[in-house]
Amino acid sequence: MARLSLRGIKKRFKAVEVLHGIDLDVNDRELIVFVGPSGCGKSTLLRLIAGLDPITDGEFLLNDKRMNEVAPSRRGIAMVFQSYALYPHMDVYENMAFGARLMGLSKAEVEARIQEATRMLRLEPLLERKPRELSGGQRQRVAIGRALVRKPQLLLLDEPLSNLDAALRSEVRLEIARLHREIGGTTIYVTHDQVEAMTLADRIVVMNGGRIEQFGSPRELYETPANTFVANFIGSPRMAMLGVEREGDRLIAPGIGAISLTRLPSAADRELLMGVRPDGMSISPDLQGEGFAAQVVYTEYLGDSAYVYVKMGEGAPVSIRCTPDTQYAPDTPVKIRVMPDKLHFFSSNTSQRLAV
Amino acid sequence: MISSQLTGRRLWIAALVVPPIAFMCLFLVYPILSAFAYAFYEWHGLARGDFVWFDNFHRVLFEFPFSERTINAFKHNIFVFFALMVLQNGLGFILAYCLWRELWGARFHRIAVFLPVVLSTVIVGLLWKLFYHPLFGAVNATLRAVGLGSLAQPWLGQDSTALTAIVVANAWHMVGFPTLVFLAGMQRIPSEILDAVRMETESEWVKMSKIVWPLVAPSATVVFTLLFVGAFNWFELPFIMGGVDGSPHGATDVLGLYFYRTAFGSMSASAENFGPGSALAVLIFLFIAVVSSVITIRLRKREIQL
Ligand SMILES: Nc1ncnc2c1ncn2[C@@H]1O[C@H](COP(=O)(O)OP(=O)(O)O)[C@@H](O)[C@H]1O
Ligand SMILES: [Mg+2]
Repeated sequence: MARLSLRGIKKRFKAVEVLHGIDLDVNDRELIVFVGPSGCGKSTLLRLIAGLDPITDGEFLLNDKRMNEVAPSRRGIAMVFQSYALYPHMDVYENMAFGARLMGLSKAEVEARIQEATRMLRLEPLLERKPRELSGGQRQRVAIGRALVRKPQLLLLDEPLSNLDAALRSEVRLEIARLHREIGGTTIYVTHDQVEAMTLADRIVVMNGGRIEQFGSPRELYETPANTFVANFIGSPRMAMLGVEREGDRLIAPGIGAISLTRLPSAADRELLMGVRPDGMSISPDLQGEGFAAQVVYTEYLGDSAYVYVKMGEGAPVSIRCTPDTQYAPDTPVKIRVMPDKLHFFSSNTSQRLAV
Repeated sequence: MISSQLTGRRLWIAALVVPPIAFMCLFLVYPILSAFAYAFYEWHGLARGDFVWFDNFHRVLFEFPFSERTINAFKHNIFVFFALMVLQNGLGFILAYCLWRELWGARFHRIAVFLPVVLSTVIVGLLWKLFYHPLFGAVNATLRAVGLGSLAQPWLGQDSTALTAIVVANAWHMVGFPTLVFLAGMQRIPSEILDAVRMETESEWVKMSKIVWPLVAPSATVVFTLLFVGAFNWFELPFIMGGVDGSPHGATDVLGLYFYRTAFGSMSASAENFGPGSALAVLIFLFIAVVSSVITIRLRKREIQL
């Protein structure tokens, strides 16, 4: 059982405020991912939850109990560190037994828990090894085992895949998802990789500059990003962003083209940002009719599909998802057409999403 | 061309290497070897007599009055070793732990703890002799000031306290060294390991004894070995504070002092007695060399890679 609530959490290091008021409610058994660019405060927030750093302002509740002043070891929280942080002088068994013994469990109970973790993480052949005799992936599993042995109500993982090679990452990711279901607690997982976040999370917290930009399921974030930051951060390749002016039911991108739409944002803004993902556009060599003028930069062939990168006006190249047989020579002039139901609109002043 | 370059390079290397080697040979290897040799001769003053095999060693170890003094001094060295192990290294570890946890005033204390180390032993010896002065020494004055005047005593003047008093002075002088080594060891522990412990316990004692100490122990190897060597070579401080005779009544006598008296003579003891003196020096040297090698090898094996 672990429901957690963060109420107006702020964190200052000396004079520098790193977290500017975080509000968050997490339900029991959820797998929550904190995602955001490097330096946005994900680790800091995780450490506040763990109790490793004091909370400057605000309140952290775990199952409705205030935790601000509770020592890290008494919060029922376990953490897997980025560097794994195994005790170098203890073998794998001791690494797992150390914390469990300190909880005052009986010998038999400690033994039983270690056996369970050993089985779940397939650690049997490693029990007598020292951390330095393990590979990165093995250390990772021991670090998770050490956390599980304490049966935490809340499991925290800080960038657990960042020290693994690419081949191992997707494997360990699946493993973590499976463990989360198997142990039936709440898990918070920190990463800067939005793909990791999308594949793993029940709900994602998108952070930027010490604030939460959006909190929602992967589908919500992808389909209705709350602002331009989330729109740009979630989804790969990125969403294309085009500054447009509104004239009646027409949207004009100066010097690039115009489209008419039946459904437009209800807000009265004249200038808007229009966003569209690679799968919401089509490309055509036919330059007649409505659409936006563009020039092909290059084509990326991916087997089951291809991405054509085009330049529209001054902005960065925009990618468009096409069928794999699409081929355009660089510099070919093309027309881009958008699917009206796949458009996102944002205020050009506040960057916030505008409802249609 | 190339060969002349090579010779030039060789000359250059030789010019750098030969002086220190010559220096070492002259002032280290030669005296040690000659002490080895002297130990096997009979001496009349500074005149060498007959080759007497192990006679000198036998006298030093088994014949009255040498043997009694040797054993008395050796026991004191052992006491000094263990006392310093607790006082100097133990305190050093605790101080390092406090400095590392950045308790109040850590910046000031980091310097304060290390400062005495740079003082010369002579100054420290004289300073502490003044501290211990029975009438106007700081130690007794402090005791009287806090109402413990009954505990005031002639610290250096009585058998029961003299050696311990010198050990305390030595610990004060050198405690900064183990502190510094331990502190460096502690600062090398990755911070995430310390965070990991904090997730599992809030007991400072468990953290210190189960995690910090084992991880710092590698740096203890050098501290232990040097302390061992220092304790059995102990000379300057007892010489300054207790005198060459290890007064009172040999209560502060140690092997270093006894060797000095035997080899070079003193006012109270006999004239110089080079043979037994050299034998003593050889024995001290061998004892230190063998034991410290064993300590180093055994402790090295137990070191942990971070
Ligand atoms: N102990 C600290 N002292 C001062 N600044 C810190 C400290 N820890 C983190 N910061 C700052 O807080 C910000 C957020 O850091 P962090 O939470 O580690 O980011 P993330 O994990 O999202 O990459 C960074 O700008 C970092 O420099
Ligand atoms: Mg981080």
